[in-house]
Amino acid sequence: MLLPKFEYHEPSTLQDALNLLSELGGNAKVLAGGTDLLVRMKQKIDRPSHVISIARVPGLDAIIPRNGHGVTIGGAVSAGAISRHELLNDRFLPLALAAGRLGAPMIRNRATIGGNLVNARPAADLPPPCMVLNAEFKLKSASGEREVAAVEFFRGPGEADIEPNELLVSINVETPMPWTGGSYIKLGARKTLEISMVNVAALITLQSPDGVITDARIALGAVAPTPVRAYAAEELLIGEKPTDELFERAGMTGVGLCSPITDHRGTMEYRCMMIEVLVKRSLKQAVERAKSWKP
Amino acid sequence: MKDFKVLNTRAPRIDGPAKAVGKAKYADDLTMPGALYAAILQSPLAHAKILNIDTSKARKLPGVKAVVTSKEAGLVRYGVSPARYDETLFAHEKVRYVGDEIAAVAAVDLATAQEAVELIKVDYEELPAVFDMFEAMKEGAPQIHDEFPGNMNAEVHQEFGDTDAALAQCDLVVDHTFLNKRQDAAFIEPHSCLAVFDLDGRLTLHTSTQVPHYVMRTVAMVLGIPVGNVRVVKPYVGGGFGPKCEATPLEMSAALLARTTGKPVKMNYTREQVFLHSRARHQFYAEMSLGVMKDGTMVALRNKAVLDGGAYTSFGIATVYYSGSLLGGPYKLKAMKYDGYRVYTNKPTCGAQRGHGGVAHRAAFEQLLDMTAEKLGIDPVEMRLKNIMATGDVTINELDMSSLGMKECVEAVRDGSDWKNKKGKLPKGKGIGMACGFFVSGAGYPIYRSDTYHSTVVIKVSEDGGVATVLTGSAEIGQGSDTTMAMIAAETLGIPLSHVRVVSGDTDLSVDLGAYSSRQTLMTGHATKEAAEQIRNAIASYLAEEMDCSPESISFSDGIVKFDGQPGNFQHIRVQYIKEHRGWTDPPSGEYLTFREAARLAYLKGGTLVGTGKYKPPRLGGSYKGAAVGTSPAYGCSAQVVEVSVDMETGEITVDNMTDAHDCGLAINRTLVEGQMQGSLSMGLGECLFEEVKFDSRGRVLNPSLGEYRIPTALDMPNVKSIIVESSEPHGPYGAKEVGEGAIMPTIPAILNAISDATGIRINELPVTSERLFMALKNKENA
Repeated sequence: MLLPKFEYHEPSTLQDALNLLSELGGNAKVLAGGTDLLVRMKQKIDRPSHVISIARVPGLDAIIPRNGHGVTIGGAVSAGAISRHELLNDRFLPLALAAGRLGAPMIRNRATIGGNLVNARPAADLPPPCMVLNAEFKLKSASGEREVAAVEFFRGPGEADIEPNELLVSINVETPMPWTGGSYIKLGARKTLEISMVNVAALITLQSPDGVITDARIALGAVAPTPVRAYAAEELLIGEKPTDELFERAGMTGVGLCSPITDHRGTMEYRCMMIEVLVKRSLKQAVERAKSWKP
Repeated sequence: MKDFKVLNTRAPRIDGPAKAVGKAKYADDLTMPGALYAAILQSPLAHAKILNIDTSKARKLPGVKAVVTSKEAGLVRYGVSPARYDETLFAHEKVRYVGDEIAAVAAVDLATAQEAVELIKVDYEELPAVFDMFEAMKEGAPQIHDEFPGNMNAEVHQEFGDTDAALAQCDLVVDHTFLNKRQDAAFIEPHSCLAVFDLDGRLTLHTSTQVPHYVMRTVAMVLGIPVGNVRVVKPYVGGGFGPKCEATPLEMSAALLARTTGKPVKMNYTREQVFLHSRARHQFYAEMSLGVMKDGTMVALRNKAVLDGGAYTSFGIATVYYSGSLLGGPYKLKAMKYDGYRVYTNKPTCGAQRGHGGVAHRAAFEQLLDMTAEKLGIDPVEMRLKNIMATGDVTINELDMSSLGMKECVEAVRDGSDWKNKKGKLPKGKGIGMACGFFVSGAGYPIYRSDTYHSTVVIKVSEDGGVATVLTGSAEIGQGSDTTMAMIAAETLGIPLSHVRVVSGDTDLSVDLGAYSSRQTLMTGHATKEAAEQIRNAIASYLAEEMDCSPESISFSDGIVKFDGQPGNFQHIRVQYIKEHRGWTDPPSGEYLTFREAARLAYLKGGTLVGTGKYKPPRLGGSYKGAAVGTSPAYGCSAQVVEVSVDMETGEITVDNMTDAHDCGLAINRTLVEGQMQGSLSMGLGECLFEEVKFDSRGRVLNPSLGEYRIPTALDMPNVKSIIVESSEPHGPYGAKEVGEGAIMPTIPAILNAISDATGIRINELPVTSERLFMALKNKENA
């Protein structure tokens, strides 16, 4: 398959990139890893007249720890780099796990976190972990910048809170509290190279290794037009001692928040039942990791 | 067993280095100065009358060199089996599936050709379409071909013994139904070709195919070119698995456009077009009843098949025969009845795929066997061993098992998997299952009725005597046939493998029916062996004359020649050789006469040293209608044990272990044999757990990509214990027979039997997705 014709731009500074975006706006698409864009262009779903590569913009592919308080992940950091990053595996595990389940090694080496987020596919791997980590997305344009919370960012299938003249430059995450553990579970047909039928990210904070749950966050993918936080299930957990029975109730509550579709990958009925199971399992894993938290 | 020098080893494949460094040329790597690029217009509708085709805008587009439709191509009907030629190169009057070819364009580049395709305006009158095979059989269903009322493409009715009477006398009769799904072969290399005419009107077609010979014949027939003026050359091929076993509209369009424009024309299918062209595994529905006695003796089998053929016939007639004939073994039966129906639908055409016609019905049968064993309280392994055929047995439908290590295979996987300590002893959610199967080692008859040799081979020795070149039309498609032929030639000539070269896949070199029905090792192998023997005998007789000894006293091995096992007095031959090659870097040396010196002597005495070999099977099979399908000079067989874990909460299946034994006769190359065994398992695992070509309500393929059509990844495949069982096949070269397809036969039922062992649930529809199994578990719980 051939790419349709387009003008190609390769700015070498962020300012140049933002200027181009503000000038070309809706006629341009940003090229990062290209694992989604180039496929969509070849299939003639996207026909941008301009393509702006951010490959030469410095700094966008860096993961920068911030004094132990958090981390800033550049928008063009690859899923592969995230999955292998020591700090992210240590303190931001749902994100590292999800990045390691995205596609297959060759795709992970190209696909970027920024691309995965702004494409806003309901089944994408990285939105749920960003949502449980309370990530903030920094969007820049030639005329300014703003931060949007992960939970506010996704609007619908393929729709996110980003303007045509904006670039997602970084993802900022605060370090979770002590005694926090996280998890990410993905259900697909194969063991890898999969689009999720259901995916779940969870983050649990305990008062102490054998204490009650002080904070709980659950996010689900592929179960609604956007990835969603399961707030009602989270509320049910807070203040409670972690038990299998509690996790099961949380799973059942989680299902009530979802409106999955039936498509050729799976039926609504099955997805709903899997939400229940996967929420339970993800909570169990998160609590186990919270208990073994190390300073 | 004989003491082989080359055969039965793990020699590295001879095309390994070229492939490893990326120098091997595939069809899309080929370019030619001045070549045009072409594209095909395919129907967007599943069933419609063509009212008008307007190509004027496309013709006017700058860069377009030719546009062809059925008007230019003519209406020569073709297909695979002459009994059902139901295709024309381009659709006229009617399109019958989304993807039916309507026109083709050649232009200076691909972008222009594609743009021109979009400029062709076709007026359609949409017709009601039918996509389901059972709907298509109903009265009042849309009729796809006027000549085939009721959309009945082919029917088979065969009976051996009196099945109803035999079933009536059985202690137990168990029924079973089974449904698989349409597959894609998912070879890595999409079809690609380059067609060029020379000034004498001779066509050379470079194409990614399994069957240069059949492509040559079909292209010649459809385009009206004398067959002697068509040469088909196959570069390296990135997999075929069956769908590349016939001439494609791609090849014929490229050839037609090359003739029209006088320029080379290059053309590829996209991955989506590979799905639309299809010719892969049918959807099969099976209905079976097995009758047995209390002690587990199998008596009678009733088998019915319905096949969703898609819009045209392709290999379909053979397919619908195979679904019956390949259940004749490897178990002894007293009666067997088969009714098969292949039905037209408005979908891409199905054809042959690894294990042609046999795979789905084998899966149903081997499940049914386990169900029966369970009812009788007999271990499935014991039940099989009780009924198994052995070397020399003839099946009820007259297939001759001239060698059959079936029992050895069953015992090998039983012991290799520790079956006895696992069956019935695993915790819930874990299961173990087994199954058997067999397959032809080359079809007994060519696709068209003919007395042709199935393989001929020419071997030519270089003038210096140092290199033997095997010239063959056979098709190396990744399975390793070039290496196999090189090894057979080297062993027969008594020279090291490195002294043999193979040139293959070219219809100018020899006649060979190609890489299908697992035929080349046996058939091309025979011809190669015969050609090499001819050379060896010629050298021996010239040497005998020169040395004044008997030819029988001369032996060839490891590149050296012995006389009654001794060096002999050959010095004058060496002196002459060295004199002739004065200043060369590699004078022959050592205690013995070398093959090189002997072959040089033969050249000096008789001119260029050439040997030719040929093979065709003897008359095989019974005299009933359809008796030819399923016949083969030999049959390979296999048994497998699979262990699975089932996640009882999600229905996810993990295949933990596979133990596989295959009887391939003599393993020419042990590594290649294991490669075929493991490749078959992977393909069977995918078909069992993931694979399904899906359509929307208008007959468009929903998942025409390797992203959404799921074949197993490395993480889905367990480690495989491959056990090679070597019976000696009297009809095979050095006792060799097939491994490429038979090895897939037990895989699906072994997995299904293991799932049943793990969960207590019989799944009778593929693929066994986590959802399908979960829902079945839930239904059982609720029941």
